[in-house]
Amino acid sequence: MVIGSIALVLIAVVTVGQAQAGSSAGSLAELVAEGEQSWRSSPDPRDPVACATCHHDPDETRGWAASFPKYRPLPPPEGRVMTLLQANAEAVRRHYGLADPERAALAITAYLTSRDSGVPVFPGIVAGQPVFEGRLRALARSVRRGERLYARQCRSCHDGGGVAPAALLFPRAVNGQVESLEGFLGRHRPDLPSLGWDAQPTADLVAFLMSRLAGRQMGGSP
Amino acid sequence: MMQTVVSVSLTLWLALAFPSGADAATVITGIVRTESGQPLPGLALLEKGELHNNRWDHGTLVDASGRFRMELAEGGQYGLHVYSSGYIYKPNAVKVETGKTLDLEVVLVPEPTRANDPVIKRVEFVPSETRKGMATIIKMEVADPNGDLGPQVLAFNAATGRTFAMTPPRWVWSLKSNYPDGVYQLEVDTSKAPADPRAWRFVVADHKCNTTDVLSFPHEPKPSQVIRP
Repeated sequence: MVIGSIALVLIAVVTVGQAQAGSSAGSLAELVAEGEQSWRSSPDPRDPVACATCHHDPDETRGWAASFPKYRPLPPPEGRVMTLLQANAEAVRRHYGLADPERAALAITAYLTSRDSGVPVFPGIVAGQPVFEGRLRALARSVRRGERLYARQCRSCHDGGGVAPAALLFPRAVNGQVESLEGFLGRHRPDLPSLGWDAQPTADLVAFLMSRLAGRQMGGSP
Repeated sequence: MMQTVVSVSLTLWLALAFPSGADAATVITGIVRTESGQPLPGLALLEKGELHNNRWDHGTLVDASGRFRMELAEGGQYGLHVYSSGYIYKPNAVKVETGKTLDLEVVLVPEPTRANDPVIKRVEFVPSETRKGMATIIKMEVADPNGDLGPQVLAFNAATGRTFAMTPPRWVWSLKSNYPDGVYQLEVDTSKAPADPRAWRFVVADHKCNTTDVLSFPHEPKPSQVIRP
């Protein structure tokens, strides 16, 4: 009886946790401002190195958001194709020492995405920077995995990847809640186990969607 | 007859003096500076292949005017890491074509604090006899205040232009793991020529890019300083 009650409580806690993951209160403008703040200053007073300490040149970061998902060259075996949110989460977890990096990563993602308005989407490629064939091959494999995942989990309702342009609307605010594309995808099929906002299958699915949008401008209407 | 000889000689001279593109050297050159343009001396070290794969290859000193030049055996993808004492090191994925020169500008920013930097406590060169013959074991004691040391515990031999990741005191699960404090080692073959400590430089970085000063001969660590921009 007691065990049954505990199990029920646990199920409820996990369900609520999943429902809230990837979305939190605020407007998109507030999120962008929060992201800029996180970009410019570290929350760790013992280690003041922030994103902007090293990436201080605005021209350097222009085009970053439009180039994701892409292969992030982390020390093996961690290097993999990531979405911008996932790459930001890895960075703030490591540099800012955040145990739960999702909110800060979402805010920085919103900030960088806002700066790329009008930049054409080209996953894996940043204008003016070298193109590495190995990274593009990894991205191509990710896109293929994402296409298979889309066929299994999405195509029955969204035929032919026609929903891809909606990916450009994220991060977004709906009813006073801000959310990432990764968080939305994790909650969109409550009948299926969540992909996990930080997981490889989510990056694969986003890679597939974004591959359909190459050349479109960031910040454009879907 | 005379004309033919002159013509052949001229052709040979031109061929030797101006080699074709296929024979041209594969080179990475660059200048290292601060945001305000001040040149910085230090080290430019290369990983062969993908950035952060820890497969260290060439390296070179960056001179007082901030310039460096590395001639490579072949073109391809490399991870270029530039270090200067008091500055956050800069990793950069680069691609150089065989027979071409890649010219780079690297801007470094000062470390706002040195409290989080790894510390090189001591370096010693210990002559040793191994199964392969005479060797020198380079031992470097390293500590990190935050326990997030990375695999960049590096030794660079300026005489040969080779860079080495030193072996940690115990086995480490992956390159992303936090590396232990302790004595890191590198075995140098001295069967043909003795190791010259004057040629060796050392530098250590943690997973958050906090970096020691570049340690040169006589390899006596000094307290690190914050550089005010």
